[in-house]
Amino acid sequence: MNAENLAKAQELIQRFPQKSSALIPILHLVEEEFGYIPQEEVGVVADVMGVTSAYVESVLSFYTLFHRQPTGKYLIQVCRGLSCQLMGADELSKFLYEDLGVERNGTTEDGMFTVEAVECVALCKNAPAVQINLEFYPNMTKEKLQGFLDKAREEVRSGA
Amino acid sequence: MPETRLLFKNIDVPGIDRIDVYEQHGGYQTLRKAVLDMTPEAVVSEVMASNLRGRGGAGFPTGRKWSFLPKDGRTRYLVCNADESEPGTCKDQEIIYKDPHLLIEGVATSAYAIGAEDAYIYLRGEFKVGYQILERAIAEAHEKGYLGDNVLGSGRRIDITLYLGAGAYICGEETALLESLEGKRGNPRLKPPFPATAGLYGMPTVVNNVETLSAVVPIIAMGGAEYAKLGTEKSAGTKLFSVSGTVRRPGNFELELGKVTLRELVFDLAGGPLEGREIKGIIPGGSSVPILTPDKFDTLLDYEALQAAGTMLGSGGVIVLDDRSCVVKSTLRLMEFYRHESCGKCTPCREGTVWLGQVLERIESGVGRPGDLDLLADLCVNIEGRTFCPLGDAAIGVLKSGLQLYHDEYQAHIDQGCCPLGEVVR
Repeated sequence: MNAENLAKAQELIQRFPQKSSALIPILHLVEEEFGYIPQEEVGVVADVMGVTSAYVESVLSFYTLFHRQPTGKYLIQVCRGLSCQLMGADELSKFLYEDLGVERNGTTEDGMFTVEAVECVALCKNAPAVQINLEFYPNMTKEKLQGFLDKAREEVRSGA
Repeated sequence: MPETRLLFKNIDVPGIDRIDVYEQHGGYQTLRKAVLDMTPEAVVSEVMASNLRGRGGAGFPTGRKWSFLPKDGRTRYLVCNADESEPGTCKDQEIIYKDPHLLIEGVATSAYAIGAEDAYIYLRGEFKVGYQILERAIAEAHEKGYLGDNVLGSGRRIDITLYLGAGAYICGEETALLESLEGKRGNPRLKPPFPATAGLYGMPTVVNNVETLSAVVPIIAMGGAEYAKLGTEKSAGTKLFSVSGTVRRPGNFELELGKVTLRELVFDLAGGPLEGREIKGIIPGGSSVPILTPDKFDTLLDYEALQAAGTMLGSGGVIVLDDRSCVVKSTLRLMEFYRHESCGKCTPCREGTVWLGQVLERIESGVGRPGDLDLLADLCVNIEGRTFCPLGDAAIGVLKSGLQLYHDEYQAHIDQGCCPLGEVVR
């Protein structure tokens, strides 16, 4: 973790009546900083929390939002909850897998996009829903996804 | 048959997420009334009198839950369950994202009532933006003296801490949520002891859903007796229903309990079936409850009527399936969900959901075997009531009912070696 996050971790440890509560928020800091939880950071978190690396592993492996592999700049999560599936979520995932040439949970070679099919994200009334990084995208279509991919690629191209 | 909006009264007001707009619409008057004019006991009495029942799914009377806290002087905690994860349910999300101060006022008022200085809001990990919205709203409430060391000059300290989960449906179960809030794996705890006696950090704790705590605001504003006049005797007040799936106008609707039928909700408010389709089944209370066929669509939406119809009100997540929706495929999808979300603690749930998923998968893909439907039913018997927490029962709700109600559709998959509906195109 960088110095800023190490300081935040110490604050988190002070914030709760019991130190143990800080573990999940600290793992969120790591995930945010690296886009996943690198193996060496497990030891860093363990030291900060005063627990073993094995214990940290046991907790982080329980939660699906903590990634153990690097994710792309854009993490595209297609909701596969029943309501979204009924409204065509499978077609959205299929489109993304084919367009980006990745399998489920795969990342494009340029590190731009990761595509996941995830469980219900609680946007059922706007099915099919997609979450990209933090933002929810309601009532998605293949066309809207294509538009997003084009825009993201354009941004990277012009920024490079 | 209109909506009855108490919780959603201001949901469409532009800028209601900002404290000045919220105050202009009467916001924080309830907290002021409670903290300055009422004793904590009086607030609890009003909630008792309101007959409010927990809106997260179980429907347990809220006032009674609060009354279980032992009077032994130990630190008490209030925990708000904002881990909205039941497939088909998206009502809490709308409150958090659009009207965060309603939730904060409800949490603060309830914390005052039960004598908790510290309240926690546990949000599912996907609600990171909701976390930021609440973070800003809490800061605004601190500035205005609605939260902090001396709330509205009353001498009472009330503070709210946000906690972000990390993707685990089981953390919606209250004891699993407490484990997670303590930074651990979200395995459910053995009950008793119940959270009221040994909850967060082993202290007396009340865990209530977002909608439940938000409802405390109108209850204290109008009085418990007045609130109890809404709805029916055993199903008092209003409830948020999320309608999703194959309907024209999916959305969240706030209804007086026991006054509106499932048909009116789905066909009138939510616009009915898509063009040229027919609705063949509705899961009325989130993905964990038995499905209803059209002959039951005139059931009133309240706890007792839905129970009498063989299902449950649950979280109010209404999922609509039409004549182009394959029951086997939909049930398989749900089973994959429960298989993924089982914490693995109990064998019937951990192994059962995997086995059920395998059998459903082969039926759906056209290679089902003659005895498979009996096997599914038998596996259900071996899961139901045999697990530590309700996830096992939840996993078989739609399957068990569907095996009876849509037996022919299941059988046709096996007999024809494919889905009788053909390729579903949307």
